[in-house]
Amino acid sequence: MALRIAILGILALTVFSVLFIRLWALQVISGERYLEDARNNQIRAFRTHAPRGSVVARDGEVLVSNVPGTLVQLWPAALTDVPLSERDHMLRRLARLLRVPYAEIVQELHARENDLLTPITIKESVADEKISYLLEHQNDFPGVQVSETYLRQYEQDTLLAQILGYTGEISKEQLEARAKDGYASGDRIGQGGVEAAYDQYLRGLPGVGRVLVDALGRVQSPRQFSQMPQAGDNIRLTIDVELQRAAEDALEYGVRLALEDGEWAANGGAIVAMDPDTGEILALASRPTFDPDIYIGRVKKRDLKQLADPRNNHPALNRAVAGLYPAGSVFKPITALAALEEGMVAPDELIQCTGKEVIDGQTFMNWNPYANEPMNLRVALANSCDTYFYQLALQFYERQGSPLQKWSKRMGFGQKTGVDLGPEERGLVPTPAWRRRYFSLPIDKIWTSGDSVQLSIGQGDLLVTPLQMTRFYAMLANGGELVEPHIVKAVEEPQNEGEPPVVLRPYQPKPAKEVGLTPTNLSVVQQGLYDAAHEPYGTSAGVFGSFPIPIAGKTGTAEKFVRLPGYVGLRDQAWWCGWGPYAKAKLAVCALIENGGHGGTAAAPAALKVFEEYFGVEPGSYVTTWRESD
Amino acid sequence: MATRAVPAARANLGSEVGAFVRHLDYLLLISLGAVIAYGLWVLEAVTRTDIPGDPGYYVFRQEIYVGVGAIALAVVTAIDPEAYRRFGRVFYGLALVLLVVVLAVGEDVRGTKRWIEFGSFRFQPSELGKVLVILFIAGFVASRARRLGEWRTTFAAVGLALPPILLVFREPDFGTALIYCGAVAAILFFTGTPWLHLGLLTAVAGLVAGSVLWFLPAAGLEVLEPYQRDRLIGFVNPDIDPSGTTYNVNQSITAVGSGGLDGRGVAGASQTNLNYLPEHSTDFIFSSLAEQRGFLGASILLLLYALIAWRGIKIVALAPTFFTAAVAGAVVFAFLFQVFINVGMTVGIAPITGIPLPFVSFGGSSLITSMILIGLLQAIQVRGRLAGRG
Repeated sequence: MALRIAILGILALTVFSVLFIRLWALQVISGERYLEDARNNQIRAFRTHAPRGSVVARDGEVLVSNVPGTLVQLWPAALTDVPLSERDHMLRRLARLLRVPYAEIVQELHARENDLLTPITIKESVADEKISYLLEHQNDFPGVQVSETYLRQYEQDTLLAQILGYTGEISKEQLEARAKDGYASGDRIGQGGVEAAYDQYLRGLPGVGRVLVDALGRVQSPRQFSQMPQAGDNIRLTIDVELQRAAEDALEYGVRLALEDGEWAANGGAIVAMDPDTGEILALASRPTFDPDIYIGRVKKRDLKQLADPRNNHPALNRAVAGLYPAGSVFKPITALAALEEGMVAPDELIQCTGKEVIDGQTFMNWNPYANEPMNLRVALANSCDTYFYQLALQFYERQGSPLQKWSKRMGFGQKTGVDLGPEERGLVPTPAWRRRYFSLPIDKIWTSGDSVQLSIGQGDLLVTPLQMTRFYAMLANGGELVEPHIVKAVEEPQNEGEPPVVLRPYQPKPAKEVGLTPTNLSVVQQGLYDAAHEPYGTSAGVFGSFPIPIAGKTGTAEKFVRLPGYVGLRDQAWWCGWGPYAKAKLAVCALIENGGHGGTAAAPAALKVFEEYFGVEPGSYVTTWRESD
Repeated sequence: MATRAVPAARANLGSEVGAFVRHLDYLLLISLGAVIAYGLWVLEAVTRTDIPGDPGYYVFRQEIYVGVGAIALAVVTAIDPEAYRRFGRVFYGLALVLLVVVLAVGEDVRGTKRWIEFGSFRFQPSELGKVLVILFIAGFVASRARRLGEWRTTFAAVGLALPPILLVFREPDFGTALIYCGAVAAILFFTGTPWLHLGLLTAVAGLVAGSVLWFLPAAGLEVLEPYQRDRLIGFVNPDIDPSGTTYNVNQSITAVGSGGLDGRGVAGASQTNLNYLPEHSTDFIFSSLAEQRGFLGASILLLLYALIAWRGIKIVALAPTFFTAAVAGAVVFAFLFQVFINVGMTVGIAPITGIPLPFVSFGGSSLITSMILIGLLQAIQVRGRLAGRG
């Protein structure tokens, strides 16, 4: 018995020794560190979002603004003491009230398991009566907080949807990429279009400070700012709202014309209208489009799914800068200029335009199989004679150093235009070297005469964006200078209503690049394109022939291999590019109707609508008759 | 039995009372009084801001419990412990009934049923059950004093102890069930159960713990509530935090550590005041004490506990009979175990089980029961001294 009592004594001694040693270690040896922890526990650094700058159009119409809104947040730490069944019940009730999927809330709670003190945003932009319900029943909703925020508001409905972009919470990857620029988790940043490209100006400076909180995250002291929030700057675009609206309507019109013409697959396209001298983009339309309001408040998965659904033909894609298409006949002026500059053909040299041409055993058709007459370059451009250009192609094929490709690149193809709106595609100008690199089968690696023939009429592997093409026609219009297209006119300081804007930073485009064309050669091509829109044999004369402002431009019908839901095969992409007035150009326009068939039928009339709006010409005040042609 | 003031005329009875009073362990009484007073002082400081506008809410109630506990202590001290042996079966039946009733009609608090509600008071049967089970099992083992070396006796004792333990476990109240196990083990230990038996029981207990925690869940059979398992595993490996359950432990350690040598004071104890410490009036009251009063304040409490434990061990040695030795041993062991589990939990060296800190945590059932247990020790002490002298 004595032994056992001794054991009890030793046990007691051990228990108290262990507890004393542990206490000593925690409190006396590591006390400072835990004191620091305890202090940090209650101090919460907070950030308040600064009101984001507005985006306005060329003439000051507001495109995107800020409106104050409410934000419902949940503090995970407050839920640790709530039993599971109650928590579950509360979250379901909250989900029902705010119409947020319960599963999404639970998922986000799980994601925050190791960060219980950072609130989860449940919903933005909550209706007033729901907010007052939450506030009245605060005890039923532990950890739920209502606070103020700013919400983006799109003032012109769906206008410019792909260009304006949207804002959203910064992602992990984005945060890592720009940790040095003062971004922090939870920040809302631009996620596309102008919102993303000009985020650094629009976002302003967030307010930063410290506040004392309790374990439930409830604020226990007044907020102390170490940096007050500073509103973001406004962005003024080069976009003309009326012209933009006209361009978007024109696209819809072009698609309708194509559908009426039996082109059942026509379902989208792009129109770019640009000042040919400065590169300012006055209108930039892409179709199909979407309602940017889906990005306001809590983004619904269903909406995002619809945006991504191939059946809806990618509404979020900005086709003007990121859509890749074969150029077709709108490329012919490039071939013409290159041939002239290389001395392969004289402007007045006559070449027989035939219905077809057999080259190295392969038959290449003209769009008009009955043609058979000699043409000079000017007529061949106006009439868009394919076989004329096949002849030039054969000469290019013989030449060393791929001169056609070299000239294409000098005129801006196969490279980014540098527009201040991402993400931009660079397109593709195929060369023999590219073929060797890109293909694996020996037979595909060889550049054939057929490749040169295809390229001369803008077919084959060539891919261009509508913006590249617009810049090229702007170059034809302005006398040979490649401008830098841009969509922002200036960064401005936000002003009270009625006060004139203060420009902080005007947009400074890179100086226009001289392509180095001989003026007489350029002039021949310009005349050919004027004839195309005016002479009886011109491909868009029916559309522009009697338009009171002299327009010059080229149609294009580009075959593209497409994969549509339920259809895989070749469809014609309808193009028209040109400028006006002919002699003293004010506006360069490119219109593209996806799967729209003939350029003269779908694209040229759409471009005409843009000119009508720009020059203030009443539709119907002049005669238009258009016919099917290339 | 002298339970009341006795007329002076009965002189022999008077001298008996005198001897009784002389033989009380005053050091134990003093340290008990000190620990209760210290506990009230701590509770007052810790709960001062919990009920807005009523800083004395908890202390006032705790003082009532102290009053009730003092009466219970006096009564139990006066009763000859040997008398309980006759009522062993009654106690056992009562304990089982109470523990079944609490499962049936108990108030559901955060998924557990530990309390029976009486008006505005809550009664925790597993606390009183502790006393009843100790008395019954000790009585049972003592009645088989001559057959102690037999396996049958050991198995029978364990078998009788299992129903109440499982009922408490079922509430679920893992911590209290552990205390029951400890008390029963102590009874066997101090009645001289052979080492071989004790060793086997320890091995079985280890095996059961292992199965409950790891083997059975691995086979897809969950014995514990998920939160219990998380807490136990979280204690073993606090860096892995599957569902935020070690949040409490980390906050508690931070609170204790931040107290430093002499504490942050009542107003400066942010962990307590801003509610980072959960349950700071009951299970985690030691953390709050350590935060507010530092190492010095916490040490005073631990020293008082050590004093009680020392006096308790002396009483085990002094116990006149088999039965009283078993009871005293179980009481002292249960007390040590409870202090270790509770304080250990707050400093991260024992799993979170949610048992109160004796004499300090807010709550009548625990406080009164603990005082009854001290009363038992006193009664044993007096009988031991009287027997030793006679």
